[in-house]
Amino acid sequence: MSAIIRCENLVKSYPADTRPVSAVANVNLVVEREDFLVILGHSGSGKTTLLSLIGGLTAPDSGTVLVDGVENWQQGDQALSVMRNSRIGFIFQFASLIPTLTVMENILLPLSFSQRPAGSRDLAEEILAQVGLADKAGSLPAQLSGGQQRRIAIARAFINCPDIILADEPTGDLDEETERDILQLFRRYNKNGVTFIVVTHNSELAASQERARVLMMRQGVLTEQDGEAGVAHA
Amino acid sequence: MAKRGIEKQLNILDYALSSLWRRRTKNLSILLVFSAVIFLVASFLMVSKALSDRAGQLLVAAPEITVQRMSAGRQEAIPLAHGERLQGIFGIRRVVPRVWGYYFDEVTGANFTVLGVDPLQMPGGDGLATALARGRLPEEGEAGMVVVGQGVVETLALENRQLFSLFRPDLSLKTLTVSGEFAKETGIMTADLLLMHPAEARDLFLIAPGFATDLCISVANSREIETIARKIAELLPDCRVLTRPQIQKTYQVVFGWRSGFASICLLSAVAAFIILAWDKASGLAPEERREIAILKVLGWETADVLAVRFWEACLVSGLAFLLGMLSAFAHVLFFSAFLFRPILLGWSVLAPGLSLVPALALGDFLLLAAFTVLPYLAATVIPAWRSATVPADSALGG
Repeated sequence: MSAIIRCENLVKSYPADTRPVSAVANVNLVVEREDFLVILGHSGSGKTTLLSLIGGLTAPDSGTVLVDGVENWQQGDQALSVMRNSRIGFIFQFASLIPTLTVMENILLPLSFSQRPAGSRDLAEEILAQVGLADKAGSLPAQLSGGQQRRIAIARAFINCPDIILADEPTGDLDEETERDILQLFRRYNKNGVTFIVVTHNSELAASQERARVLMMRQGVLTEQDGEAGVAHA
Repeated sequence: MAKRGIEKQLNILDYALSSLWRRRTKNLSILLVFSAVIFLVASFLMVSKALSDRAGQLLVAAPEITVQRMSAGRQEAIPLAHGERLQGIFGIRRVVPRVWGYYFDEVTGANFTVLGVDPLQMPGGDGLATALARGRLPEEGEAGMVVVGQGVVETLALENRQLFSLFRPDLSLKTLTVSGEFAKETGIMTADLLLMHPAEARDLFLIAPGFATDLCISVANSREIETIARKIAELLPDCRVLTRPQIQKTYQVVFGWRSGFASICLLSAVAAFIILAWDKASGLAPEERREIAILKVLGWETADVLAVRFWEACLVSGLAFLLGMLSAFAHVLFFSAFLFRPILLGWSVLAPGLSLVPALALGDFLLLAAFTVLPYLAATVIPAWRSATVPADSALGG
């Protein structure tokens, strides 16, 4: 298998009152195609920042992120947007739906600027059924529970048939049964070739996936589960 | 490639329209306030331009030079003999004495303008008949005949009668007969006018024979007006000499002062709106910032976000501009600019019942657009640009 994502010497810090806070400290990471990578860590350990760096949402202070050999921040805004739109599905820590759009409109939003395939609405309905909310297509987010909103956000992440899913605490608001269904859905997509990078503090999530690879993040440093820092490689 | 680009722009427009619809209450409020501001400013500009144009057209028929006798800084009756002295100045075509004054009617509280002049002696006076809605001009020797403006007709209720009486200064009554009425279109100049022969006007004001209030002078070459006026002033040092260009300028100044005063008030309203729009738009609401971040995370480019905001602002401001301009046009054309007439025409008891043709100079049109649409576009797009250029990961939270 070939590396789909490669992070080299990745550093990111945020300004603070006295001195900058290091969110990601010299992270090296290689993710193979069809990997299911789980990054465990407590709140504030830098997991979300690492996802932002990989997804091209924020620029690193130093180091590089390569997706299929192309360095994220050497591309222009347009190419980066196209990459985010066509190759990556994001699942945010919070549902992040647009409150004034219906469920269906939210799900179809990533397809606004791509050449929308003829059956995209059918696909959206199918994914909506997969997350168990087939009857909510016309509802507004405010009419749904937190868990339901989370499932809509998950459905939206799959609508553009991405190669990579970046998920931040994807099962945070879900009850046990729904969590099980969603993890099964992840497993199915993963078997079909989608690469997953999931950050969570839920260690059971890794156990639910057949071929999950688990890494730990502490104070911006990424380590293998055995505690060795540096290059995390499958 | 081009098809893709068009499809993308259509998607952006579609999103902008649906975004406007989703926030319809807020956008409708902005649209209404914006339209009202444009309506006020545009109708004001239109009516002041229309009045100024109308006054300019009517003043074309005014005497080229008017001579009035002054004593102790006040106007006095001028001897007709002064007119005979002027005949010697080369370039003067005709000198016509005129009796011009005001008559205050205590019963109605109205002030009439009385003009005693032989219309046939005035240059272009025969054309005065075309300013009449009905009847004819008084002929020489016809005692007590008068042509009245529409304001006089309404004030003195002359619709169904032709005879009326006015008091002389000694309180004796002078009876007049209406021989004609001026048309409404000339109302700005004739609404309060009583036009009669000089002898009748002298009789009404008890001015001695051989005197007039002023002398109207026409010249052979209009380019010589100023030169001839100077010669008259030298020949008649006790007289004030007014030229038509001076009178036109005075009218423009009066309209200009009034419209300038009101413009300042209205531009303050525009400024307040711009500040409000800027304040509203510069502090994007958290949910709007979040929406921009989500769109960027989902693959929208900064330019796409800006395009959406641009289209939204264009639609709101364009529609508001159109609505404001159309209502201003209707306000001036169909309702005779009733909101601004008192400001621009004064609070005369006999407000002229003229119909106005809306007019707006291209410069004013562009200025209005520049002061309303452009600031709104800027107030909407710039904050969106600021939000769209910060890293979009804020939407991820945590």
